[in-house]
Amino acid sequence: MLLENAKVLISDDSILARKQLKDLLFDLGCTNVFEANNGQVAIDTYMSEKPNLVFLDIVMPVKDGIKVTKEIIEFDSDAKIVIVSSVGTQKHLREALEAGACEFIQKPLNLKNLKKIVESMI
Amino acid sequence: MYTQFFGNFILNKGVITPEQLIDAISYQKATHLKLGTLAIHYGYMTASEVESIHIMQTHVDKRFGELAIEQGYLTPEQVNELLTSQKPNYLLFGQILIDRKYITNAQFEELLAEYQAQFKIQDIDFIHATQDKYSDLITSFYNFPGTEEQKEKFVNYLNLFFSNLLRFIGEDFTPLHAAAFPEYPINFCVSQDITGSFSATTALDMNHATAIAFASRYADESFEEFDEYVSASIEDFLNLHNGLFTVNMSNDFDIELSLNPPEIKQERILTYPSMYFIPIIFPFGTMNLIFTIELT
Repeated sequence: MLLENAKVLISDDSILARKQLKDLLFDLGCTNVFEANNGQVAIDTYMSEKPNLVFLDIVMPVKDGIKVTKEIIEFDSDAKIVIVSSVGTQKHLREALEAGACEFIQKPLNLKNLKKIVESMI
Repeated sequence: MYTQFFGNFILNKGVITPEQLIDAISYQKATHLKLGTLAIHYGYMTASEVESIHIMQTHVDKRFGELAIEQGYLTPEQVNELLTSQKPNYLLFGQILIDRKYITNAQFEELLAEYQAQFKIQDIDFIHATQDKYSDLITSFYNFPGTEEQKEKFVNYLNLFFSNLLRFIGEDFTPLHAAAFPEYPINFCVSQDITGSFSATTALDMNHATAIAFASRYADESFEEFDEYVSASIEDFLNLHNGLFTVNMSNDFDIELSLNPPEIKQERILTYPSMYFIPIIFPFGTMNLIFTIELT
């Protein structure tokens, strides 16, 4: 699939983190981007929009990124979820992958790393 | 990090005022090191010899190095070595204080010798400075209560915090000593709780103007007014720093911690049983790092 045709969901409680990720995705050609500012909104948006790729923060209000991953995978076992977090401990990494996430990116973001991941997923 | 703490060191000697410190910090980016400052640092010339060359330079149109060679203070090889040497940035800071007439060359010579001796700084430290060396530096500036193990965590926390300021905000800051207060009146305050094997509250407090400048540097944007992006930038920085801290704790000490989402404090006064704050001076304003210490 072409990057410009892909639907991407970004879920992070920080408006800055969402903007920065969205800017990077725009640079890569992904312009069809949805945003969620907490875990529950992320789940609701996933169900209504069925995005091709999801970026989730771990530390979020209402529902954390690991719980959201589990619920989205229950709904759609083919969902492609990337966890983007500053809390990249082995424990979190393991939990994220066990919950069904495909990738884990340690913040701060870098364009090269992000590009590699996005291109391998879409 | 030696540069950042040199400001703290000089301030505590009572040689300069906080206003002079802030003034000097704001000149840091636009100033270059002079040969005379380097010659004092390497012990090739005394402060009075440097002074005499400066006086000569008011009469003759010659460079410092040329005159110093003529006077027999330096050899051509030494001049060359000084020009090509690795230069610790706190020299620059000292030079600004001299240029601004806050201290004399002789005072600088004395302060430099004392600072380097007290913190066992050799030149090699600047080229291969390790996190361990920074830990030593931080330990000698901050003496927190608690067990050795608890102290180690604070030092780790601060070491990472100052490293993150250097990495994401800039080199032009000076951390002051820590103070303990049962109550703290806040300006704009972002806090984040750490829970798990131990728990702590961490917070950053500053006024709106300082937040705008801090956020602009962190997010690499030119924010002009205090808005949700500015607020989110401060939250993001604290969250990123605490996130990296939990990673370090997990990897190095097998301590598992969790973070609550950062929040903006609504109350006007923070009250915790054991609360410390460290003022950090930037040219654009002062930010306070606040944290609680759990001693149970």
